[in-house]
Amino acid sequence: MKRREFVKAVGRFGGLAVGARFVGFQTPNRPTAVPSLLIPMDDAQTDHLKAYGLTYKAIQAGLKSEWLLNYRGGSFLIPDLDSLRRDAALNGIRIEPVDSAMTTVRGEIEANNMDAVPLEKAPKVAVYAPPNAAPWDDAVTMALQYAGIPFTKIWDPEVMNGSLKDYDWLHLHHEDFTGQYSKFFLIYSGMAWLADMVQRNSDTARRLGFQNVPELKKAVARSIRAYVENGGFLFAMCTATETIDLALAAHNVDIAATFADGTPLDPDADAKLDWSQAFAFTGGHIETNPLVASFSDIDGHQVNGGARRQPLGAFTLFNFSAKIDPVPTMLVQNHRQVIPDFYGLTTSFTRNRLKPGVTILAEEEGAPWVKYIHGDLGKGTWTFFGGHDPEDPQHQIGDPATDLSLHPHSPGYRLILNNVLFPAAKKRELKT
Amino acid sequence: MSRSTSWAAIAALVLLASADPARVARGQAIGPGFELERSGRYADAASVYFTTIRSDPTNIPALLGLERTLFVLSRMSELLPLVQTARARQPDSPALRSLELRVYAALNEPDSLEAITRRWAASAPQSDAPYREWGLALADRRMWDEARRAFLTGRQTLGGDGTLAIELAELEQRTGNWEASATEWGRAVTRSSDVEPNAASQLADAPAPMHDRVARALTAPGTSARARRLGAEVLLTWGRPNEAWAAMEPTLAPTDSETPAALRRFADLAGALTTPEGHRVRGLALARWADMAPRGGSSGARARAEAVRELLDGGDKVAARRVLETHSDSNGVAQAALIQLLIADGQLDLAEERLSAMSTAITADDRAALRLALATARIARGELDRATAALGDDSSVAATAQRGWIALYRGNLKGAMEAFRIAGPYATDRAAATDRTAMMALLQRVQGESSAELGAALLTLARGDSVAAITALRRAAAKLPEQGGRLEVLLLAGQVAAQKGGDQEPTAIALFDEIVRAGGEGAAPPAAELEWARMLVRDGRSAEAIPHLEHLILTYPNSAFVPEARRVLERAKGAIPKS
Repeated sequence: MKRREFVKAVGRFGGLAVGARFVGFQTPNRPTAVPSLLIPMDDAQTDHLKAYGLTYKAIQAGLKSEWLLNYRGGSFLIPDLDSLRRDAALNGIRIEPVDSAMTTVRGEIEANNMDAVPLEKAPKVAVYAPPNAAPWDDAVTMALQYAGIPFTKIWDPEVMNGSLKDYDWLHLHHEDFTGQYSKFFLIYSGMAWLADMVQRNSDTARRLGFQNVPELKKAVARSIRAYVENGGFLFAMCTATETIDLALAAHNVDIAATFADGTPLDPDADAKLDWSQAFAFTGGHIETNPLVASFSDIDGHQVNGGARRQPLGAFTLFNFSAKIDPVPTMLVQNHRQVIPDFYGLTTSFTRNRLKPGVTILAEEEGAPWVKYIHGDLGKGTWTFFGGHDPEDPQHQIGDPATDLSLHPHSPGYRLILNNVLFPAAKKRELKT
Repeated sequence: MSRSTSWAAIAALVLLASADPARVARGQAIGPGFELERSGRYADAASVYFTTIRSDPTNIPALLGLERTLFVLSRMSELLPLVQTARARQPDSPALRSLELRVYAALNEPDSLEAITRRWAASAPQSDAPYREWGLALADRRMWDEARRAFLTGRQTLGGDGTLAIELAELEQRTGNWEASATEWGRAVTRSSDVEPNAASQLADAPAPMHDRVARALTAPGTSARARRLGAEVLLTWGRPNEAWAAMEPTLAPTDSETPAALRRFADLAGALTTPEGHRVRGLALARWADMAPRGGSSGARARAEAVRELLDGGDKVAARRVLETHSDSNGVAQAALIQLLIADGQLDLAEERLSAMSTAITADDRAALRLALATARIARGELDRATAALGDDSSVAATAQRGWIALYRGNLKGAMEAFRIAGPYATDRAAATDRTAMMALLQRVQGESSAELGAALLTLARGDSVAAITALRRAAAKLPEQGGRLEVLLLAGQVAAQKGGDQEPTAIALFDEIVRAGGEGAAPPAAELEWARMLVRDGRSAEAIPHLEHLILTYPNSAFVPEARRVLERAKGAIPKS
């Protein structure tokens, strides 16, 4: 499968991004001057988010497309077809017909920190979310919906029956893999939505043969880990980032409060966590208070941590070498380098809790936390992005959903969509 | 650094500033320690502090420096003997006592804390400082239950419901126990009203699902007036003015000297709310405050007038009238509010009479505003001459704009256009300016200088008879050329029909269809297609709306309606949430 070959090709050594040429990335076959449409992704673009959908549509139709890394904000090149022009017009996407001008563009790409990556296969996207979740609960679902990229919702039963192998890309959002309902159990007791969440999770756990929800979620986390090891692309945001690692590290210890599984958490839980199983983090300490909606000290901002809560700043994207590190370069394509931060139940990742070898894609300069990280596991890769909704920095339960048509240039949402297209990139032939 | 440490540091700085010159010199000697600490060289900074302590064992800044640096270096055990020595030399120093507690806490010896606290308390039996520092030391180590016990021990020993209430309130808040935090803040404000702003600001951060519990904890029967006022303030902050007033009102005993200040603060806070309920509640508070103001003073009259205005903005005419009628001393502002009330009630003749009788008492601005309101009310009755008379010789842009509407309703299109042009786009409020601009856009397409039919149709619309207006507008449109205003007038008729809905929807569709089929260069065809699609989406027929929206976007790519059409298209496709 190309996806797995791709992942293999961009594997890392010692946690450092490895040169594309070293692992076989080459410039694509240079087409002659054929009519193409350039989708600029700099400030000239009129709808950055929908541009990803248009590119996805082209790839899905089997059309040759390219991602011009670092060229005009990470532009795309698609064939010049009436149907694509129509889609661009309907969606308000700026396109620029190019033919002979492409020779100059390619010269510029060759001479600078830029590269052209062929996009070959539209990834099959799965979003892990409860069946009753509204699309507006989750930034990724909103981004996919707005951009017009198709996806399938899956949940615990699908994960446990092995359906993950049918998808190239899996997204997790604010699921609490410690099985403690985001620790809202006591704070929001009596709320209908919480009662529904508890009921649904408990029923699913019973149906799938687990004693309680935390045990179910640990098993789901292990299945997701196996999916990545076998070549899957995992993208997680908000609580899912921190709690999936906690669930994986806690495979032999009870870290869930009494309300979740009927037993108190192990008083020696911190010492018993096995971080070798986790994707990104190590050495975290569990938040033991069931009334505080925080999971551990992995999160730097502790939005619900009372006096520990840190104010929001802005995060800066790293500038990678397009020709040497194409994978992280793809993940940080943007028309903005500095982006205002936004809270989530997990907002950021404390630096000293990151495993060695994790690639930092974005950080808040001078702060003890980072925002956006990436790494490999087995044949697959994972990317974690802290925070809940890039355009709703202080999102609260019950807030109105974000209307992305009012934020068509959102640099935060662009980072999400970079992740969707990144698995579409073609692995180039290795030099012999 | 923990809060208690910060307090100790501040105390130390105060001590340092008031010390003798020799001590100041010694203090300066530790300056390099601070610099080293700031640059992250903790071990070197600690060496400087150790040197200072050797010559001055009770030097508090140096001891605090060691507390900070040795903690980072995990060498806190080295500090304990130094602190014990210093404390033995100055047993009455609260800074050293609290430092000793923190060191024991940092060394993870919570059992020793209680013994040390008790020794300190024995030497200062009336002070709550030992218990406060004990609790804070534990809280800094996130030992919540133990910290709570420490504070409660202090309360029990010293007596008094509000003892250490602030500390307990903050502790409960840190643990997420907002209800208990509210109860403690209630006790704290009962003990001292100075705490209220801080308490309100802290409790305002409670998560929404906890709001009811917090409010109950502060306003339940048996709580003090100060606690209830705190509850009222917090409810206001959360945008729940009616409940806030319900909590506030029972505390307003005139014999309570704090009542006027509390009312004023409440009214000021309510001023941040823009909802009708917010205005109404502010009006109620101001009216009560005005009643308490000294008789004969101007502040009471001013507040009363403001109260009337707020009550009117809040839609409570009854309360507004009550305020006005019970105070014959009301000034011009209040009289203006009363006339406004009469206009709203449709008593136009009486309003006119009062306006001319009170013309000297009412400010020029208020007089102009009332004249405009009267003219608008007259237009709504179709009394165009009396509307003109109400405006008098007012030459303001607002009056000019109003004269434009009157000219329009008389069929004088040229005169209306001229008046709207002179009034410009900024006169009166935004909605009125938008209406004028939209009408100018329509009139620009009509080539004739007058049209009695169009004027009459628009007057019918202004008077609120939509169904008759639709027929009249269609009749007026029929007399205009297709590309000379007919489509624009039909569009207006279609918009009215679509807004009316129900049995007028087929009419709206027929009108929109006619306009879209006619096409052409004007703005009417894309506008009609957008309205058509909107109506279909509203009716749950999104699939039928999509082709219309796509047709609009692709046929009129440069139309100003395209961005809005795209939004409606997104919504029809389910790509963005319904707003």
